[in-house]
Amino acid sequence: MIKPTVGELLGGVAISLRERVLPEIPAGVTRRQIQAAIGIIRRASLVWDKVGPYFFADNRDIEETLRRLIPVIERVTANETDADLEAVATKLRATLDRSGEQEELYPSPAVLGARNIELQEVLAELQEALHENPVAKSAGRLEIDALIRDLLRRMLARELEINSPARP
Amino acid sequence: MKEAVRDAASILRERLRDFIQAQEPEAQGIEVGNLAPLTAGNTRNAWSFDASWTEHGKARSVGCVMLRKAEAGQLETPLIPEFEVIRRLGKTGVPIPGAYWIDPEGKWLERPAFILERVAGTSDFPALMRPEGAEMSRGVAEHLVEVAAQLHTADWKSLGLDFLPATSVETAAAQQVEYWESLFRRHRLEPHPAMVGAFIWLKEHQPVADRITVVHGDFRYGNLLYEGKRINALLDWEMVHLGDPIEDLTWAYRALWTPAGVMSLEEFAQRYTKASGIPVHPDNLLFYRLFNEMKHAIISLTGAKSFHDGRTRNIVIADRAATVTSYLIQFYDWLPEVGVGKAS
Repeated sequence: MIKPTVGELLGGVAISLRERVLPEIPAGVTRRQIQAAIGIIRRASLVWDKVGPYFFADNRDIEETLRRLIPVIERVTANETDADLEAVATKLRATLDRSGEQEELYPSPAVLGARNIELQEVLAELQEALHENPVAKSAGRLEIDALIRDLLRRMLARELEINSPARP
Repeated sequence: MKEAVRDAASILRERLRDFIQAQEPEAQGIEVGNLAPLTAGNTRNAWSFDASWTEHGKARSVGCVMLRKAEAGQLETPLIPEFEVIRRLGKTGVPIPGAYWIDPEGKWLERPAFILERVAGTSDFPALMRPEGAEMSRGVAEHLVEVAAQLHTADWKSLGLDFLPATSVETAAAQQVEYWESLFRRHRLEPHPAMVGAFIWLKEHQPVADRITVVHGDFRYGNLLYEGKRINALLDWEMVHLGDPIEDLTWAYRALWTPAGVMSLEEFAQRYTKASGIPVHPDNLLFYRLFNEMKHAIISLTGAKSFHDGRTRNIVIADRAATVTSYLIQFYDWLPEVGVGKAS
């Protein structure tokens, strides 16, 4: 079954609740609960089919950026002694080596989401390792900071489309 | 549903009567009337009621608001410091409700609760944001400057507010960052590298405060009762602490409730400095604008986690994690650029 889609169903339910049910409920706690539920159902109706592509794009961007970062990190660790950074770099390489290990041709949103968490984690650890040794920032460290910050901005822009979707 | 509310109300009326009797042992013939739930925040359930009794032959009557801890929510702060701050600040010119009684462990009122004086006015802040409310909003904003100056120049030591966690001009920012980062680590549902990066910036750029004052912590439109252009009471003190007063100014100017349409932050800061003698340094201003985006993000994450874990069934906060993205985007938009030859 393709029609109605999950999005059409949820969107219709949100409209029914807003137009038929809400007017029957007086102002107060219950009404606010129903209003909040309608907002959540409406958001789910708009993004249910976008979550998989979102994870796919996000994972690809994080992986590509981390690959670009590896030679810069190697340059930094060649010039500075930083065991934390070296340890994260090792974990980062291992994480990237697992890229494309999914067996399914079309991985489910759950599989893509699990990979997203894994990539988020190594990215967070990399930032923390850079912060752990706040030596005077070399050109290499500044380059890493700038690449990470650009990545974070792109990730947030993608996330916004899921969390605050524009109405069609 | 209405029956359930009525039953809950009659049980609560009994509990209130017993509680007030225990607090006022000389009182005779205590009556609790007009008990009704109020729309309140997501961390406290509020009820309005009137209490009357006779004491040594004299009739007494007070209008009250009971704030009772909700089930798990967005903030989980203890009631005693909040109540004590309200009680002690009542001795200053800061507009604040009178503090009557507290049941810190919920022995009488089912859950921890305290009872304050009911103050006239409305907290309707959307009315202040609408174009037709601009003149009134301008008046409220002007009074808000005065209230900020009053609060931040209150002598907290002589008021006995030194039970609040101690801080210094050098450590105030660090303590707040540490506190909110600990909540972040406890309540996040995923690693959130953008938030990790934001906390790193905050840890690397902490400004020195000009002085340590009482900081309301949720100082904004929506947390005040006003009538016309005057503020009658500053509400919701659950995030009160000692710290850098600039934190309050920047919180008041967050996009969700900012009075910038009727008074720019620059004008507010100038008026504030004139009224209080407290300078507003650009470094502190930037730091706390950024910090506050994170603070609100963590409050939202905490609410989302409470719902996710089944510790609350309040749907209003169920999807709060989705709001975090826009706060983080604001954070990164305000952040000074990094890179070779640029400020880090």
